[in-house]
Amino acid sequence: MNATAVTSDGLEAVTTDAGQRPPNAFASIAGRALPTVLLYIASICAALGLCAILVSSTGGSATQVFSALLDGSLRSAGAWGLTISTATPLLVVAVGTIVGAKAGMDNIGQEGQLLLGAGAAAFVATRLDLPGPLLLLASFLAAAAIGGLWAGLAAVMKFTRKVPEVISTLLLIFIASQVVTFSLTKKWLLRSLDSTSRTNNGEPLPQSARLPGIEIFGNVVTWGAVVALVMTLLVGIVLARTTIGFKLRVLGLNPRTARRFGVSAIGIGGGALIFSGAAAGLAGGLWLTGGSAGDRFTGGISSNIGWQGLLVALLARQKVSLAVTMAFVFAGLRTGSQFVAATGVDRRITDVIQAMLVLSLLIPPAIQSLQGRRRRSGVAA
Amino acid sequence: MNAGHDSPADVVAGVGDSLPTPAVRLSAITKRYGAVVACNGVDIDLAAGRIHGVLGENGAGKSTLMKILIGLIQPDEGTITLDGRTVVISDPLAAADLGIAMVHQHYSLVEPLTVWENVLLGEKIKLDRKVACERVAAISDRYGLGVDPLACIADLTAGQRQRVEIIKCLRREPRIIIFDEPTSMLTPAESDQLFSVLRTAVVDQGRTVALVSHKLDEILNATDEVTIMRGGRVVDRTPTSAATASSLAQAMVGRPVSLRSEAAALGLIAAAAKDAAGDLKGDGEAGPEAPIVLAVRNATVLDSDGRTLLDNLSITVRAGEIVGLAGVEGNGQRQLGDVLSGLIELDSGSIEVSGTVIDAARPGALGKVGVGVIPEDRHDSGCVLDLSVAENLMLGAVGATSRRGIIDRGAMEARAIELMKAFDIQARSPHAPMGSLSGGNQQRVVLARELSAEPIVLIAAQPTRGLDVGAIEYMSERLRAAAASGVGVLLISTELEEVLTLAHRICVVHEGRIIGEMAHHEADLERIGLMLGGVAA
Amino acid sequence: MIAFGGSLLDVISSSTMYSSTMRFAALMAFAAIGEWVAEKSGTLNISVEGMVLTGAFTAALGSYWFHNPWLALLAGVVGGFLVAAVQANMSHRLGANQFVVGLTLNVLAVGLTAFLDAQIRPTVSRVPEFEIPVLSRIPLIGDALFNRTWVLYLLYPLVPFAWFLVYRTRWGLEVRSVGENPQAADVSGIHVNKRRRQAVYFGGACAGLAGAYLTIGQSGSFAADGVSGRGFLALAAVIFGGWTLKGTIAGALVFGVFQALGSAYQALGYEANPSLLGALPYVMALATLLLFAYRSRQPASLGRPFVRGLT
Repeated sequence: MNATAVTSDGLEAVTTDAGQRPPNAFASIAGRALPTVLLYIASICAALGLCAILVSSTGGSATQVFSALLDGSLRSAGAWGLTISTATPLLVVAVGTIVGAKAGMDNIGQEGQLLLGAGAAAFVATRLDLPGPLLLLASFLAAAAIGGLWAGLAAVMKFTRKVPEVISTLLLIFIASQVVTFSLTKKWLLRSLDSTSRTNNGEPLPQSARLPGIEIFGNVVTWGAVVALVMTLLVGIVLARTTIGFKLRVLGLNPRTARRFGVSAIGIGGGALIFSGAAAGLAGGLWLTGGSAGDRFTGGISSNIGWQGLLVALLARQKVSLAVTMAFVFAGLRTGSQFVAATGVDRRITDVIQAMLVLSLLIPPAIQSLQGRRRRSGVAA
Repeated sequence: MNAGHDSPADVVAGVGDSLPTPAVRLSAITKRYGAVVACNGVDIDLAAGRIHGVLGENGAGKSTLMKILIGLIQPDEGTITLDGRTVVISDPLAAADLGIAMVHQHYSLVEPLTVWENVLLGEKIKLDRKVACERVAAISDRYGLGVDPLACIADLTAGQRQRVEIIKCLRREPRIIIFDEPTSMLTPAESDQLFSVLRTAVVDQGRTVALVSHKLDEILNATDEVTIMRGGRVVDRTPTSAATASSLAQAMVGRPVSLRSEAAALGLIAAAAKDAAGDLKGDGEAGPEAPIVLAVRNATVLDSDGRTLLDNLSITVRAGEIVGLAGVEGNGQRQLGDVLSGLIELDSGSIEVSGTVIDAARPGALGKVGVGVIPEDRHDSGCVLDLSVAENLMLGAVGATSRRGIIDRGAMEARAIELMKAFDIQARSPHAPMGSLSGGNQQRVVLARELSAEPIVLIAAQPTRGLDVGAIEYMSERLRAAAASGVGVLLISTELEEVLTLAHRICVVHEGRIIGEMAHHEADLERIGLMLGGVAA
Repeated sequence: MIAFGGSLLDVISSSTMYSSTMRFAALMAFAAIGEWVAEKSGTLNISVEGMVLTGAFTAALGSYWFHNPWLALLAGVVGGFLVAAVQANMSHRLGANQFVVGLTLNVLAVGLTAFLDAQIRPTVSRVPEFEIPVLSRIPLIGDALFNRTWVLYLLYPLVPFAWFLVYRTRWGLEVRSVGENPQAADVSGIHVNKRRRQAVYFGGACAGLAGAYLTIGQSGSFAADGVSGRGFLALAAVIFGGWTLKGTIAGALVFGVFQALGSAYQALGYEANPSLLGALPYVMALATLLLFAYRSRQPASLGRPFVRGLT
């Protein structure tokens, strides 16, 4: 938690620096801050209120559910460590997505890229004989490579045949899921070598292919979290401070101007799309080896992490610093959901809460820009 | 005039006085955008059966005023009365109900739809093709417009599209018609036809017409009375018969102007042509010995439906020369600009810069060999509104302000401050977002960036569109200076006046082809006029 | 290879193939018709998947509560419409990004239906087949088209209705104009965002109908993973069809064929890997997009929000 907060601040500084706020803007921001905050609070309360009504009306206790969520994500022993470990793949997916979105590439196939990434990592980890750290490294490389390849297919289709990447990445999710189901039926691919196991699961990962944890105050945090934070920091710096980050932003903001100044949509844009896929793949590798998802690969391992990572990125509105916070909140809802089942309410209420939260966070900025527009254009508000 | 109103000091006797009740009276209209006052206590009376000119520079507030009348914008203060009845016009639909219609500057037609569908668009009646087509044909015949109701808008020329606009407007039998800069996309012959239609529509049916323009010629030739606006205020009203070009120009700009040297900015073709024959001679004119810096050879571009946009177009520019490409909007100028910006590929033909064939389709290839571009639409391919002024200034030269891929923010800022000073760019700071600048300052940012890259060739596509007279003068001077320093300038412009004042050599483009070329001293208005209409002369 | 070719021939000539093609295609066609109208208005309605899923669930609820197929059908339409109401008002009233709203609504639909299904556990009665005399005797396709549940028959009037709506009514003209050039439509006096919202409502109702067809017409139960991407295939069908109605229907049929191929293959006792066959419709959707996306012209303003004053 501490580590997250510190890095978050650091990145905020980077992005603020890069932003084009004039020095005197602080006063005007402070002036507007109060209604903004109120708007957010009202909106979030409305969303949670609706969820509470939903729970109560189906015979559950809303207070119990919310209390269970807090227990599961923060309060119970070891909970926040678990939450940070769960936030790790969400953050990695989100950061990759942000890079793609900055370049104007709408990758929405992270769920499939992540699943394949986890599968590739499992294949390398269970089939190759390499010494400890090298095995992990090779698994991660394989995970990133296949995620990048999957997004690369969408890039090729976009630039050669104008297939919109929104559709192609979407359809590739379902193909990925069938590919993984298929490979779980073949022992030469991912299926467990132990033929007594009836369900199609992968081989248990060898000890050397499991990411160690860091113990902090009785909480175990995966090393993957460090990888994720370093990656977030690097991406933040590259986007804000380097020529390649600059070209990427120009491409996303105005592709025709970018082309005129020699920014290659295929090179930079395709690269950003592939990077976002590779990040999702890597997230799959981190999730698999991190231990929170069990000790072996299964067909359901992605369990919406790709989708949720995408939502984190969308909500962070292309700011890597905000993505850190959002990933933690989303992870909290995931880990909290384990405790909800004990209250007798179906744990999928957390998916509802998550989506409602996203919608509620979309409303205040929309209302504000609407008001701003009305003021400017003079349409009676 | 109502005594209660804050009349500007230099008002000439208002023509509104001579008529009992004006058809339209706008009283004390004020509209603010933040700190900017677009209209400041404006009073205008429009009389039935007359054509009323509203003259003013860009930014004088005339468009805002008309948008208020058509219901696109709500005024902060002031009232609108029609035939003595006060009305509130909440949106274009309400305006239509009140009998107010507008022929828009940027066409309000939907390209993939047919003429009759467009004419019917927005009407609260049953969709009936047969009836609609008959109606369109009837209006078209009455005014001699010659429009096929079943044609698809995408297949029509700019002139034909405007005729569709007029039919769309007249279809609703409006009592009040607003024309917003109607001739910017027309040939001289088409403009004349438009004004004769306008006259028929007014005299026949006793309609009220407001003609919004920044061109003196147009106002002098087509209107009965004129209101002149400057800086959001009405500064003068006069019957057109009592006005002269110089009196109007002075009122519009607010200072005595030389009609000769500023003819282009004021929209005076005759003066500009005289200019072309006069003092431009010898001024930086490139002799045949100057090297050819840009050669477009047999350029052909087709659109996705196979329509020819550029048709075997060839044009050359020598060092130190300004070549003006005149033509009516929509005859391939946009595509030529895009080709020279590396944005679209040639279907056949080639581009040579300083004698070397360049693969123009490769992103940035043209920029690298010294082709600078001031694009027709700077928001489309000239700048990035969400980036800062400093970042926009270094779009083409990120390498120059970075080391090993890391941007040196100090160097970037220093460079930006230097350029802002050299080109007199008004912005809060180098870090202000490009979108917060006025149009004129945005155009200066583009100009500063392109000229500071020390180009061999400069493509200036509609470089003064939407600028005020001062900014137009500034741009013209910069282009002349660039040519004088040896840059080959290709000026693509639909403003004939601009081409006539600036260019050493004039080419006329029609339907994607060059149909005529002449040196500036041979410029003959009649001949150019014919060429603009597609007649090789 | 020869054996495979032979088996393929068997599969194609079997009437099972035709009827299961129709079963799969109908679901996508219902949704795709609505999506087509929404896209004509300029909305890339990615929440169509969530609309179908919600419609499937509310139809199950309707069947469970009212024991009446018509009310169940209505409930399905209402379910799709409710999702559309959120999508339309958030993106075309508040101006929130339509993709973000759409993706979120898909997540919400998955969570909400799964949660409510677990809490309520509705049971569904399936609507039986209703054979249309004479027509159902047409060789090969007769049985597939005219010996089905009556819910499917709703598709036949829906196609010409949607065509008429879009190409022959004033509303349709306005919808097309706001999808192509919202600025021009605005100055012509059309309420752009209102038309777009209405088009999305229509899309939601059609998607709800698709869901209801799935629940009460086809499977006779609600399954949380029952839609599994077929709403997205409806989206692909519109692109496949190059934003024409007949192309969109053709797209739904083509994707239906490939889904049917998988099940017909196994039904006839041939050995084939089920997961590879399961991937087939998606692979083929991509393949057809590779062939057709290049030359088709989408509504010029598809996916772009309209704000007066921005050009």
